[in-house]
Amino acid sequence: MTSDSGSALTATQAATPTSGAARDRRGSWIPTSTMITTRIMELRKRRGLMAALIVVNIGIPAIFLLVRLIAHAVAPKSYGPAGGYDIFTSLVAGVMYVFGFIVAATLGCTAGSVDLTDGMFRHLVITGRSRLALYFARIPAGLAIIVPMVAVGFTIVCAVCVFAAPTKLDYQGVPVPSGLSLTGFESWAAQHPKEAICGLPYRGGKNGPQVGVPCFIKQNGTVVILPGSSGFKHISPATEKADAVAIAKQNYLEYSRTFLYPSNSLMVKAGLWIELEAAIGFIVGLGLASLMGQRTVAVVLMIVLEIVLTPIFSRTAIPHLINVQRGLVGLATAHLEPGGLPRGIGGGGGGGPPLIPESTTVAVCVIVGWLVVWTALGAWRMSKRDA
Amino acid sequence: MTTSVLDDQSPVNLSDSPWAVETHGLTKRFGDNVAVDDVELLVPRGCAFGYLGPNGAGKTTLIRVLLGLTHADAGTMSLLGYPVPRHRDVALARVGAIVDEPRFHGHLTGRQNLEILAAARERAARGRIDGSLERVGMTHRADDRVSKYSMGMRQRLGVAACLLGDPQLLILDEPMNGLDPAGMHEMRDMILSLVSEGRTVMLSSHLLDEVERTCDAVAIVDNGKVIRQGPISELLAGASVEVNVECSSPERARTILSATALGAQIDVETSGLSIHLAAGTGRDAIAEINRLLVEDGIAVYRLQEVQVSLESWFLQVTSRLGESE
Repeated sequence: MTSDSGSALTATQAATPTSGAARDRRGSWIPTSTMITTRIMELRKRRGLMAALIVVNIGIPAIFLLVRLIAHAVAPKSYGPAGGYDIFTSLVAGVMYVFGFIVAATLGCTAGSVDLTDGMFRHLVITGRSRLALYFARIPAGLAIIVPMVAVGFTIVCAVCVFAAPTKLDYQGVPVPSGLSLTGFESWAAQHPKEAICGLPYRGGKNGPQVGVPCFIKQNGTVVILPGSSGFKHISPATEKADAVAIAKQNYLEYSRTFLYPSNSLMVKAGLWIELEAAIGFIVGLGLASLMGQRTVAVVLMIVLEIVLTPIFSRTAIPHLINVQRGLVGLATAHLEPGGLPRGIGGGGGGGPPLIPESTTVAVCVIVGWLVVWTALGAWRMSKRDA
Repeated sequence: MTTSVLDDQSPVNLSDSPWAVETHGLTKRFGDNVAVDDVELLVPRGCAFGYLGPNGAGKTTLIRVLLGLTHADAGTMSLLGYPVPRHRDVALARVGAIVDEPRFHGHLTGRQNLEILAAARERAARGRIDGSLERVGMTHRADDRVSKYSMGMRQRLGVAACLLGDPQLLILDEPMNGLDPAGMHEMRDMILSLVSEGRTVMLSSHLLDEVERTCDAVAIVDNGKVIRQGPISELLAGASVEVNVECSSPERARTILSATALGAQIDVETSGLSIHLAAGTGRDAIAEINRLLVEDGIAVYRLQEVQVSLESWFLQVTSRLGESE
């Protein structure tokens, strides 16, 4: 320690306390941009945590898609294309939704507890800065990390699913052009009556197809007539076409929901949806960890909430607890799931009715309620806690 | 906390207060245990002030209450003339403090830790990081991770953190902890240099010798209460005078002296007597002792007035003396 103050601090440099504190509005609950950027730095420099978050959020889907890309490149007949609509929906609803939440919750729990556990909270309080500002600085800082991280993982999934999508639609095992209108689909059926009759399911009916040819479509797309059958020999081409069109009409609704790759609209909605889930995970984790003053138990509780409690309550409607079930943030988020994604945990997506009935307004209110309540609890605890 | 008269005044008008720290009736309880008991403390500006007390006396708790790390149960307090917690933000803007062992984010460098703390202060604080590191001799290790720092280096980093706010008041809780003798010497020099710049340094310490060499004034706290406070010279002047006498017949010498009006406490030792005269006793009393012994034929080989140290005075006035006896 040098006592020479020549180049260091001297008392003459001091501003008056009143002017200094008034300028930086130290008592305000609003954090400064510098507080937020330094908080980002503090979180970003946690290499182990960042590596784990990147592996879970980006690495797992990236490696899964890479393996599929390689497998398809090596043996295209055995392994289908790496991307496509189905892969996209499975990855988004089944992997990124859950892992995104857990990753964000882990980061939130870390941000909410490390100042205490590392002993920095005391130093920060001594600066005279509002404790609420210290808390609120963590929210944009954490989101500035988790939102881009989720976005990167999601962008990789979107890119692979679009650019490595199948070139032909395989509907019910029948190679069909994608994106046809009802008329176009019927027109295709009229031009390929045998494929439509043998490959597409049909339910009969008064105006339904009359043909009853025992046949199927092989993997390479060729029509196979079962032995002992006379096949299409005694059926006129006009009947064939009429029946094929009728079958196509019956299948159009389901066909129209089958795509080569996800639409731009679906990708945008799905991206926003998993970002919402991640933001909820972060903010709730932050509040919970701040309330508890420690990370590990808070992370465990968040994981239990996401992968144990939410699925259980989504599948079992308990009459006396129906409002409690509706109050679960996981169910509320699932209700906002974009149509076109398979239902992950019982929400409203996937075209099916939700397991636990809940309006979109109620779902939004539940989400906002969770964010507000946990933020208030975390901020309150931080402002009252002994440092 | 009770309503303070100071609370009704604006912070601007109060910044001229002569006291860097002022508490009245300050009390902090943990259940039935009263850690800070009706403390009346006045720390003058521009001096080094020692806050001394045995373990568990409530030193750190008082500092924590002053800094808003925990709330007080009763009483009023002000820092640099600003009542806290009402004007806590204004008061702490020019206060730097280390409480307990200084701990930081271990995965960050010393400089990065200071950047986080500077961000919570005014904008100018960021520009003081290099100066603070230089002042505590940490420039060469500023870009190493704190997890690799020794205890002494973290202590220095803690002082650097205090300096970020260009403080008028520094509150240092056991600042010598973890420092080697050279580090303690440097810390002492730094404290003195800070005081010479017009800042106030309030430090708590168990190292009474260091405090005596560093501080101008002290307060002694025991069982949560401030039992003495003031300039060291004045406090020691009020201590009892100890005189050691080497003589030929200690037992007889005690009998002779006990019969006089000196009012002394006399202990017989192997080679003589240890005489404790009442505070304020003049040097004539020492000459009188010598005269009485010589007149009764006792050979006096050595007669010495023992200089009262802060440590011996501290032991006299705190309950620790009673425990050791």
